[in-house]
Amino acid sequence: MKTKKIVIIPAYNEEDGIVRAVNEIRRLAPDYDHLVINDCSKDATLEVCRRNGFHVATLPINLGIGGAVQTGYRYALKNGYDIAVQMDGDAQHDASFLKAMEKTLLEENCDMVIGSRFIEKEGFQSSGLRRIGIQWFSMVTRILFGQRITDATSGMRMCSRNAMELFVKDYPRDYPEPETVCRLLRHHLKVKEIPVVMREREGGVSSISSLRSSAYYMIKVTLAILIERLR
Amino acid sequence: MLSIRARILIIGGLLVLMTVIINMVRRRTLELKYVLAWLLGDILLILFALFPGMMMWLARILGIYSPVNMIFFLGFIFLAGIVFSLTVALSRLSSGQRRVAQETALWEYEREYPKETAKDIDYEEQAN
Repeated sequence: MKTKKIVIIPAYNEEDGIVRAVNEIRRLAPDYDHLVINDCSKDATLEVCRRNGFHVATLPINLGIGGAVQTGYRYALKNGYDIAVQMDGDAQHDASFLKAMEKTLLEENCDMVIGSRFIEKEGFQSSGLRRIGIQWFSMVTRILFGQRITDATSGMRMCSRNAMELFVKDYPRDYPEPETVCRLLRHHLKVKEIPVVMREREGGVSSISSLRSSAYYMIKVTLAILIERLR
Repeated sequence: MLSIRARILIIGGLLVLMTVIINMVRRRTLELKYVLAWLLGDILLILFALFPGMMMWLARILGIYSPVNMIFFLGFIFLAGIVFSLTVALSRLSSGQRRVAQETALWEYEREYPKETAKDIDYEEQAN
């Protein structure tokens, strides 16, 4: 029986990059279904998706990246998908790596494969402040969960049904990536990383910008990971 | 200013409070986002209880004569701030909930009557 695979594309105000992103996914990974989750965008993201014939589900209120992605996982789980990949809607992620991720997931029986920017250190490496955060979480996950995750905040991640079941039950609202990786580790699910190359953001604005929100992000996620360890 | 016994009791109580809060987040009863302010206040109070010098220093800087008054004053500001932020969050949640409820009602209605939604009724035909 063929494996059912889907790409989940959370999108908030991505009218500039969404067409290129989704068309590229459809072109490079035609064996994957796709579902754009429009997180109540205030711009023309929804219209642009509909006009281009993309599969798009639209949330009636803005839930944030966590809520949007969880919606995708809910759909994937309900509809019998074996593999669900999360990819950004701004064409930062390159769909040509999906094959390698899928191969790793299936051959090595993983529950999550993360596309890491920092194994080969190629391509867009993210701004300095963000990289400090990423290295910090790399250390924290190694100390608390015994595995070094080089790119815990990567939004390019592929999941098995086991992981989907956990995510559907509970998923953090904001900055969900590091915490959810730790949750899988806590349940002794297999997480692997493979090197990918990401591009710089085309249009739109990142959700982690100012210094104040960076501090909140670091504190909140570190605390969340600590509490995850206590569960 | 405070006896050793009082300070130990206060620190003990604050530590118990912190444990209770963190445990509630662990059990998913509380959401971490709304709990951060409480934890911050808790930590600050523990620091004040451990190092009364900090309280004196802060009181001097703020120009308040009595450190005890300052504690009450700051405590009040802190609580008011938390309550106000909760008011904001509550308002946002209730308007979001209203929207979701309405969208659900309309979605179910359109699903149940796919052909005969309100706009399709031919009033002329009905009148005859």
